[in-house]
Amino acid sequence: MNQHVKNVTPETSDLSRRSFLVGTAATGLVLGYAGVPGIGEALAAAPANFEPSVWYAISPDGLVTVTCGKADMGQHIASTMAQIVCEELGAKWSDMRVNLASNDPKFNDPVLGAQITGGSWSTMMNFDAMSRAGAAGRMALTDGAAAAMGVPAGELAVRDSMIVHAKSKKQMSFADVVKSGKATKTFTPDELKAIKLKTPDQYTMIGVSVPQIDIPSKTNGTAKYGIDVMIPGMAYGAVVTPPVRYGATVKSVDDSDAKKVPGFIKAVTLDDKTQTTTGWVVAVANTYANAKKAAAALKVSYDGGPNAKVSSESLLEEAKRLQKLDDSGQFFVKDGDPAAALGTAAKVLEAEYTTSINIHAPMEPMNATAEFKGDILHIYSGNQFGTRSGAIAAGAAGIDPKFVVMHQMWLGGGFGRRLDADMMVPAVQAAKAIGKPVKVIYTRENDMTMDFSRPLTYQKVKAGLDGDGKLVALSHDVVSAWPTQRWGIPDFLSPSVDKKGPLDAFTVNGSDFFYTVPNHHVRAIKNEMAHNATPSGQLRSVAPGWTFWAVESMIDEVAIAAGKDPAQYRISLLDGAGKNDGGAQRLRNTLLAAMGLAGYGTKKLPKGEGMGVACVSSQERATASWTACVAHVAVAPSGEVTVKKLTVATDVGTQVHPDNIRAQVEGAALWGLSLAMYEKATLKDGGIEQTNFDGYTPLRMSQMPEVAVAVIANGEKATGVGEPAVTVVAPAIGNAIFNASGARVRGLPITAEAVKGAMKA
Amino acid sequence: MPTLTINGRSMSVDAANDTPLLWAIREQLQMTGTKFGCGAGLCGACTVHVNGEAVRSCQTMVGDVAGKKITTIEGLSAKGDHPLQKAWVAEQVPQCGYCQSGQIMQAASLLAKNANPTKEEVVAHMDGNLCRCMTYSRIQKAIMRAATEMRTASAAGNERRPT
Repeated sequence: MNQHVKNVTPETSDLSRRSFLVGTAATGLVLGYAGVPGIGEALAAAPANFEPSVWYAISPDGLVTVTCGKADMGQHIASTMAQIVCEELGAKWSDMRVNLASNDPKFNDPVLGAQITGGSWSTMMNFDAMSRAGAAGRMALTDGAAAAMGVPAGELAVRDSMIVHAKSKKQMSFADVVKSGKATKTFTPDELKAIKLKTPDQYTMIGVSVPQIDIPSKTNGTAKYGIDVMIPGMAYGAVVTPPVRYGATVKSVDDSDAKKVPGFIKAVTLDDKTQTTTGWVVAVANTYANAKKAAAALKVSYDGGPNAKVSSESLLEEAKRLQKLDDSGQFFVKDGDPAAALGTAAKVLEAEYTTSINIHAPMEPMNATAEFKGDILHIYSGNQFGTRSGAIAAGAAGIDPKFVVMHQMWLGGGFGRRLDADMMVPAVQAAKAIGKPVKVIYTRENDMTMDFSRPLTYQKVKAGLDGDGKLVALSHDVVSAWPTQRWGIPDFLSPSVDKKGPLDAFTVNGSDFFYTVPNHHVRAIKNEMAHNATPSGQLRSVAPGWTFWAVESMIDEVAIAAGKDPAQYRISLLDGAGKNDGGAQRLRNTLLAAMGLAGYGTKKLPKGEGMGVACVSSQERATASWTACVAHVAVAPSGEVTVKKLTVATDVGTQVHPDNIRAQVEGAALWGLSLAMYEKATLKDGGIEQTNFDGYTPLRMSQMPEVAVAVIANGEKATGVGEPAVTVVAPAIGNAIFNASGARVRGLPITAEAVKGAMKA
Repeated sequence: MPTLTINGRSMSVDAANDTPLLWAIREQLQMTGTKFGCGAGLCGACTVHVNGEAVRSCQTMVGDVAGKKITTIEGLSAKGDHPLQKAWVAEQVPQCGYCQSGQIMQAASLLAKNANPTKEEVVAHMDGNLCRCMTYSRIQKAIMRAATEMRTASAAGNERRPT
């Protein structure tokens, strides 16, 4: 019986009610929470059966292997988890190793109770648990060493994987203690909670830019991604996807020409009861090159389905229609009475902001390998949402999810794309159909046209100023597809303020900003047409990628209307009154830091150049990394915009790995620039028109401006850094364009035509 | 069966002449360091060297490279210690890492000819290689670091030669 299957029943996910066990198993010391399925077996197991499957293990050679339940897509989270454990454990960094977790519930996030990676949540939600796990291990090792040396534990010091008794000059390595078998200890939940963790002044690892564990393997071709998986005897699948993004059905498949392709095995029309895919066929052959040839030779006819006539234009029209209806949507924010305040305001501004469809396009195209072995379905794929993706794979196979084992791989880019499991459906059904393991690899064309894209959005904002230019009312409607509702998991939805049922906060996060505005409404309006025709996903930063485009552009427009400097105007709105206390002040300070680093307002810029600011509480109000940007642009009379410099400041509380934070913030800021200026997908006749990197054009090296990053670590709790800087850049650029040229742009991506058009107006 | 000379070894591959070199390397030879990105020569993830020139292996057919000298990331150096690979680690360049084999191979073809490139020459040479994590500034820094190391090493070599 597969041990994995025996252990799938998730028990309470609340780790605060569990004991923490440290024990010696056949292969060394293992550490994890009691009641976490598997740890009891691990501790009791005979040598041959033991799998190193708890949070971390120390082998008799002293190597400490941390198992990371988070998807590592380039944010080096596995290395970061090892670093947090290492700090409290007292291990030497060169002794640390990482392992990527399977979908076994014992690796679930201690806060979220599931395996999901996103939201820039990982460090903030795992910092405490990983720290306590590290500390518990150190205490167990110290007690074991004390017993072996015959000295009081209190006289021992731990450093660099050595436990030292200074008085007697005795010492033991972690490896020695593990081999002695004396490190066995159980912590009750209260004892675990009572462990006194290090204070920041005692840190020797946290805050140090140690070499990332995964990097060498990514310079010599040895890092294994999902696409690199090789299973003996496997076949390859190439998918044929319909011209319509969603809703098509296959009418007929003619494989007479495909049969002439050498190595062709079978064409499998997917029967996807999970409704993740519609109208897909997978051509299976002995090699991928042959599978692609066979796919090209298949003649498939389709019924285009209900979305076959939908276009970007019709999605936008529908969004505008919905926004005009009084009873559309649900309230996300409902403070005061904006309608009344707008009625009595001295000045009212009204504007529409749009963003286009955007595609994740990670460099590693979607892929999955499926293998049925006995009762168990093995899936090899880099994925961000093991808990849900395992269920989708099971649904595609027609089996219970507990029979699915997911083998996590390094992700060749995630950005939210790999929260989905569509790539597993053709792999599973092809493997089932031919009775052999199958690796399915999307072509870039499949990957682009079948993305769970960032949805097209339409936002209408009305702002009211009083006689002194003070912002007294803001009414903000957000119309979009609802990416997270698509998951069908109620826990990820939020109750609406007006009690009209749950809403998808991942469409409006960010609009609940930290400015003090007495009358403030935000409506989340679902664009059902977009939801059906362009099933949307979570693209790096999700809603704040569009909500702050609207909010931070409008705040600029309001400041200009009030005759104030836009940065100073923001500072006056960040007064920290009421519910904004704390966050508003941190955001204000971050904005000031960015202004200082950029030299905002310190000198007159040449004609045609300008600076613009934006500041955001992204990702979510409750999980914000306070982030501000000053963009410096030059605008030519033709409307052509050159971004000369982006200056980004971010308050992350505590920095675990300063160099990684800079890498993430810079990458995120360049993503923000890429989305603001270079990336646009369009829908026509129900299909995405851009199919490769010639039509959909992320930022290249030659388009990269100077980027300056200031990281503020003020000792508050560690926050996330993978996403916030994505959201702050577009509005900063838009505001800089206005500052440079007087042209106000309100649609993303920003085009020279739009800038030139706005100049004339 | 075509025979390919890869990383100094002669290997026959069970692939038709019109098979992209990329898939022969990855599937037949199971060297997976060379990556598939776009299949259209637009991203550079599949870059290898043919007779020292950086080419897109997704656009190069097996039949066209028989008898030519092919180098992949696995063969760039004996121990992953080409100056560029060392510089990639020193500058902590990779994030997801997927494009980096192609980036390194593309950069290596530049430094083989020009060990003292300007920033503009680096950008012009590297602009066809996409990095979705946007590690471009670190890629530039790493190339400059490697170039310095290569110049220093060759200068040291020149000094020794007369003795």
